[in-house]
Amino acid sequence: MRGITFDVSPGEVFGLLGPNGAGKSTTVGMLTTTIKPSEGRARLVGYDVAAAPRAARAVSSVVFQEAVVDRALSGRRHLGLHAELWRVERREAEARIEELASALELADLIDRPVGSYSGGQRRRLEIARALVSNPRVLFLDEPTVGLDPRIRAELLDVVGGLRDRSATTILLTTHYLDEAERLCDRIAIMHRGEIVALDSPRALRAELGRQIVELRARDDVEASVAQLHATGIADGDAFTVGQTIYVPLHDHSGADALALIEGAGIRTSGITTREPTLDDVYLRLTGGQLAEAA
Amino acid sequence: MTAATTELVRPLAARAHNPFGPVLTLARRRFQLTARTPRELVVPLLTPILFALVIAPSLKTALDTTSAYESFVATGTIGLLIPLNTMFAGIGVLVDREAGAQRELLTAPISRALLVVANLLVAFAITALQVAVLLVAARARGIHFDITAGGFLWFLAAGSLFTVGMYGTAEVLAARVPSTEEYVGRVPAIAIVPWFLAGSLFPINALPGFLTWFARFLPLTHGLALVRFGLLHDSSSLHNIWKMQNASAMAGLSLAVVAAFALLLTAAGIRAFGRHAVH
Repeated sequence: MRGITFDVSPGEVFGLLGPNGAGKSTTVGMLTTTIKPSEGRARLVGYDVAAAPRAARAVSSVVFQEAVVDRALSGRRHLGLHAELWRVERREAEARIEELASALELADLIDRPVGSYSGGQRRRLEIARALVSNPRVLFLDEPTVGLDPRIRAELLDVVGGLRDRSATTILLTTHYLDEAERLCDRIAIMHRGEIVALDSPRALRAELGRQIVELRARDDVEASVAQLHATGIADGDAFTVGQTIYVPLHDHSGADALALIEGAGIRTSGITTREPTLDDVYLRLTGGQLAEAA
Repeated sequence: MTAATTELVRPLAARAHNPFGPVLTLARRRFQLTARTPRELVVPLLTPILFALVIAPSLKTALDTTSAYESFVATGTIGLLIPLNTMFAGIGVLVDREAGAQRELLTAPISRALLVVANLLVAFAITALQVAVLLVAARARGIHFDITAGGFLWFLAAGSLFTVGMYGTAEVLAARVPSTEEYVGRVPAIAIVPWFLAGSLFPINALPGFLTWFARFLPLTHGLALVRFGLLHDSSSLHNIWKMQNASAMAGLSLAVVAAFALLLTAAGIRAFGRHAVH
């Protein structure tokens, strides 16, 4: 990590978005006190995670990227264990387990060993387990990685339900852009241990103008970018990924841009105009080679 | 799949604080996992039972020794059973880390030392049960013990402290090795080699001189000498270590050695676990 700063409001769903190795899980590790920061300060619901780690852990729960379960134990035992360690009163815990099992469609599985669960069932159990203690902060560390599309869609529904109907603050790490866009109130895009952008998905997209031209250059990419700058179509925020050039349009319409590109004689093997997406923001900040004005 | 309901998150009543609650919860979990792995219960018992019930009587016959030798070896096998069982218990720590719920437990609002303590409690209980089985089986085979109330207390103290120390060793090793395979590969060097040098099958003064000196520094040598003092009313093993005449004084010194071993290795085990858990 290279020093990051962010605040998350109560009830907010905050996304940490970035490629593998960007520092998302390290951030979660520090906030959940399983990674010791070398410097800096982090507070969780007012508790300093270094000075009062147990208090910080008492108000939070984590759903991990990979399965963190005892395969031989039943689903009910997992939920009960969490309730006991987080000191939930016994009767309250029993009622809560029934509620969560019903809400997350685990009622028929809850007494079976977790080793017999499918990937989606196990992940739902892990979410239920995290919710047994009614956490004020819920960490979801890449919760849908490795799941098939149907199970992933189911889980997004569950998390979406939490977002819409609870006051729990959720910190979600992901490298799935659609997931971040759908669930998060605000997103921090991380790259090489730093936050390179932080705003709502709408505001992040708005930085790339009303439309974006995506063209695949036949000739040298840098020469093509230079031509785009010369014609006044591209500003400093144009960027490239391989042979593809992305040109955010701030002052031109899509039709004007296409006409200008054709008139400038820039040879392409494909060209489209469309609205900017979070993918474009993400690519520009983390994956794309920022195009310097030629 | 339906979406979550409005009842997914709401305030809950907190349970009254019970300082022993978390450790009992963790110990129950460990016991449930262990009980589902009969291997951990049975395998450590096989070799000592074989030594006590088959090899010791066979050696007695082959070497034409007295029945005291059977008792000597039967008590000596306790020094194999405790290290084997505690080291096998340590595998559970690796399984927790590699394929279990250890990460979830690390985010619980409890002291992480309790995870080690809870595992120790279960390892201790199972070891105690196995030692009892070994002694009952040996007695049923006709092997003689000379147990008094005082002697039993010496045996109990020595066995308990040595078990605690060996489990600390298991935690240290589990924290330091990256995989179960490497852990299992190192178990013989820790659990079996010292047993041959600690006066289990023959008195330590039968070893070459430098090995006799070396054996005096092994906690197992002191533990076994105390076990024999307690169960056989035989202080010769203590004398071979300390060269003193007062049996109680020698036993006290050996117990101090085993207690120091237990204290140091438990502290080291907790520290190693904590350092590995938080990086």
